[in-house]
Amino acid sequence: MEEKKLKIMVIDDENIVGKRLKPALEKTGDIVETFEDGEKALARFNESPFDIVVTDIRMEKIDGIEILEQINAKSPHTKVIIITGYATVEVAREALSKGAFDFIAKPFKPGDLREIIKRASKELRA
Amino acid sequence: MKIIAYSGMNPKKERRSMKPNFFNKDKKTINDQEDPDNIPLRNRPQKSIRAKITISFSLFFIFCCAITSWSYWILTQLEHKIDFLEITDNYMVEIQQARRFEKNYLLYSTDLNDALEHIKKANTILKEHNRTIEAILGKEHFNKMIIYMAKYHDQLALLGDVENDQDREKLVPMLREYGSQMVSFAEEIVKKERSSVARMLLLAKRVPLYFIFVLLILVVFVVNSLVRQVILTLKRFMDYTKRIGEGDFSPIVPVRKYRDEFTKLAEAFNRMTKELNHRHEILLESHKLRAIGTLVAGVAHELNNPLNNTLLTASMLKEDFKEISEDEKLEMIDDLINETERSQRIVKDLLDFARESETLIKPLNIDEIVNDSVRLVANQVRLAKIKLDVEFEENLPRIHGDEQMLKQVFVNLILNAVDALSPGGNVRISVQRDKLPGYLLVTVQDDGPGIPEHIQSRIFEPFFTTKGQGKGTGLGLSVCRGIIRKLGGYIHLKGSSAAGTTFTVSLPITDSPSEMMSR
Repeated sequence: MEEKKLKIMVIDDENIVGKRLKPALEKTGDIVETFEDGEKALARFNESPFDIVVTDIRMEKIDGIEILEQINAKSPHTKVIIITGYATVEVAREALSKGAFDFIAKPFKPGDLREIIKRASKELRA
Repeated sequence: MKIIAYSGMNPKKERRSMKPNFFNKDKKTINDQEDPDNIPLRNRPQKSIRAKITISFSLFFIFCCAITSWSYWILTQLEHKIDFLEITDNYMVEIQQARRFEKNYLLYSTDLNDALEHIKKANTILKEHNRTIEAILGKEHFNKMIIYMAKYHDQLALLGDVENDQDREKLVPMLREYGSQMVSFAEEIVKKERSSVARMLLLAKRVPLYFIFVLLILVVFVVNSLVRQVILTLKRFMDYTKRIGEGDFSPIVPVRKYRDEFTKLAEAFNRMTKELNHRHEILLESHKLRAIGTLVAGVAHELNNPLNNTLLTASMLKEDFKEISEDEKLEMIDDLINETERSQRIVKDLLDFARESETLIKPLNIDEIVNDSVRLVANQVRLAKIKLDVEFEENLPRIHGDEQMLKQVFVNLILNAVDALSPGGNVRISVQRDKLPGYLLVTVQDDGPGIPEHIQSRIFEPFFTTKGQGKGTGLGLSVCRGIIRKLGGYIHLKGSSAAGTTFTVSLPITDSPSEMMSR
């Protein structure tokens, strides 16, 4: 049986992140949209919800924690994965306590993120 | 404004000279004497306070001796005069007696020998004290006096020899003439002696008054000179301690032409400031390390972005190497190159700042210093979500200072502002000409909650901090002030209220001839 395609949103103000992650994540057959601007991403999310959101925590206009809160409020089943600039216990604890699915610290390999997304999609399909 | 250019501290060399020298104390003394800061202090003729006090008191003693001897002499003279006055009185009495007997002889024909007897006595007195009387009356008068006396004596003798009244009448006018002359001379002596005694008494009475007057002048002079040398110098040294406390470690330069006991103190001060300066350098270095620690957190954070981009791109390049087109490969390789260069830039500023270097005072462009400082803290500023504006007046002259030290000050001021602000806050840096001629003014202004008024006066004190334990050492502003004072500038808290805090830094404009030409 063909698995339902997951909709994945990637938000990072570094445009290379989106550029590289899009082909990397599409390999599993999922639909990937990338955004550099958190506000635009949220607007898009309002139009049609995504199953998985991967967001950088530190961005110019709106930060990852805020995106996490807003998405959790709108669509509780969406799995949010936080990218942190560098791994600190405080940031990880905050993200997890606010309902993030998991976090990944920069720099990471595409495979590392795919692992997390795989776990997330398993939970979503369970 | 005089700028003291520090040749810089070589920590290793300094440390070596700080080692206690147990083996050869003489060598250490020689080293002290060779201290270049102390040479101008030593190369002055000596005029010690001890010598001055000794000379002053010797002068007092000599003066007192002189006055005492003078007084003693006057009193001795007075004693002689009084004795002599008695003699002249006796002489007078003898003369008067002689004349009385002469009269009695003429009137009542009493014994003339009585008169002769008294004249003889008067003559003896005259001869005994001839020198003194001669000195008082003068040689001419004295001789006349002797002559009159002799003539009177002769006349008196003649008078005794003549028998008839006629001859006697002839002798009488001459006798009277000589007699009265003799009396008047005697009176003159007495009169002169009395007035002389009176004069001397007056002098003896005045001597203590003169003494007190001269003493007063001497005391005023000596006290004044000692006060100038001691009290004023002490005051000067108090000013030095204040100056040193403020972080100005320039050596003491000679103020007066002569050296004295205070010169040793000045040399000790110079040694102390040298040590303090050395310690200050260490403090500066440790404070810089702390600032670097703070900056590193931001840099690490910032560095992860290009690293992540590089890792993602390289991974994908490897993963999809066979599927993607040549153009895509080239684009990815370009990305790799760009991101690596970006990493390099991020690290370079911090490395420049962190590099250990000797103090080097030279003309600097203030805008470069401020912009470099702003770039250094850019990550912290971004992480704290704070807006930082920089504004420069046009055509600013160059300033005199040390690049790293100035960056340290500005980084510290900006980081302080960032610490005080909550997200969304603003920091504004402006650079303009100072109202004080020859200075540039850098203003660092934030719109944070401000520094409570009761601690505003303490913020430049070492180890004073409002930050929680482990967060701040309380050295930041004290180090900043140390640096700025050392560079010949001023740092002030211009104002702090609920609307924000403003720090100003005045820095001396470089005034080398070429600079003035180019202006």
